[in-house]
Amino acid sequence: MISHCPDHFSHVYMDVVREYRMSRRYDSRTTIFSPEGRLYQVEYAMEAIGNAGSAIGILSKDGVVLVGEKKVTSKLLQTSASTEKMYKIDDHVACAVAGIMSDANILINTARVQAQRYTYAYQEPMPVEQLVQSLCDTKQGYTQFGGLRPFGVSFLFAGWDKNYGFQLYMSDPSGNYSGWKAAAIGSNNQAAQSMLKQDYKDEITREEAVQLALKVLSKTMDSTSLTSEKLELAEVFLSNGKVKYQVCSPGTLSKLLVKFGVTQPAADAS
Amino acid sequence: MVGKNCFAIASDRRLGVQLQTVATDFQKIYNIHDKLFIGLSGLATDAQTLYQRLVFRYKLYQLREERNMKPETFASLVSAILYEKRFGPYFCQPVIAGLADEDKPFICTMDSIGANARELAKDFVVAGRASESLYGACESMFKPDMDSEELFETISQALLSAVDRDC
Repeated sequence: MISHCPDHFSHVYMDVVREYRMSRRYDSRTTIFSPEGRLYQVEYAMEAIGNAGSAIGILSKDGVVLVGEKKVTSKLLQTSASTEKMYKIDDHVACAVAGIMSDANILINTARVQAQRYTYAYQEPMPVEQLVQSLCDTKQGYTQFGGLRPFGVSFLFAGWDKNYGFQLYMSDPSGNYSGWKAAAIGSNNQAAQSMLKQDYKDEITREEAVQLALKVLSKTMDSTSLTSEKLELAEVFLSNGKVKYQVCSPGTLSKLLVKFGVTQPAADAS
Repeated sequence: MVGKNCFAIASDRRLGVQLQTVATDFQKIYNIHDKLFIGLSGLATDAQTLYQRLVFRYKLYQLREERNMKPETFASLVSAILYEKRFGPYFCQPVIAGLADEDKPFICTMDSIGANARELAKDFVVAGRASESLYGACESMFKPDMDSEELFETISQALLSAVDRDC
């Protein structure tokens, strides 16, 4: 699993691509193009993310919803208050993560410091797009110079600012980003994305967005049973004029799963 | 000033340049989180910058630790930040007041290069121009274990009488 073997990665990037390719000699350097004009290391990083737990984000008119699939669920795991997929970057921005967790931690820390630096300089919260852009500039740096590998993380950023209201952005290891109404990252993201394309409506409310996100995630998740332990749900919305980032408690999440009819009974009691 | 399971922090609101009063609503006490306040007296620009730097550090701490900072920890942070400018200090004297574990009141002050007097103060701390008068007023008006109503009256009277004397 991705999160368990970060130290083996330099080899895994090579082993993931099994089909014969003439251009294997271009694989090992991040900072050069292949003859077809591709950056293989960046693509391999995206492969790595394709094996990680998925995350879905949906923009609604009164908030942004982020749902994540937890890959690491074991009874032995010491559960703490902190989350595995969702992280707060600043009071008005949060993100969901898919990929190598150790890489994600570095980037999240960078994003937090960047947001605070902006606030220190301008005495107002950093606009969401600027924060995303600044983090993506960092990611891009690792694809062009230094000879270091790219970060194996994709993000879904959810936030609010006074210029553009609620926003959802997706970024990938290449440093590319764009704004989305609904997006999915991680495993089965293609299937999730096409499902979202069918069911998303422009004037969707936050509650409908939660329902849609849970429904799509339940259909695209690999596991046989869907319980609140395997999921994380967070919402960014306005409350009394202030932006709030709220992670759903496991109890509330279980109730929501039942309410929307997406709970599947556990196949085995483990 | 410390009371029974409560504390009070007060300041004047004058912003002046020597004898000229520029503002009468200048904020000197800032809220760090709901159980922690810092009052900054001294040069206004240094007080504002110091506060902004503290917010920067405090926000990152809160995001990483996922909890609020304890007042004692915050006092150490302020002290460290002030000492960083040991040879070009902030002209600012902070007064920190908060509720520590089990809502026990915590107060402390320090000089402008971070000498931390936190173990010494159990009743009241003062800072700023009228500090000598403030010491006198507090010493005479303070009694331990006041409830919040009485504490409010006492701290207000102490501040007003000291500030009246400061011309």
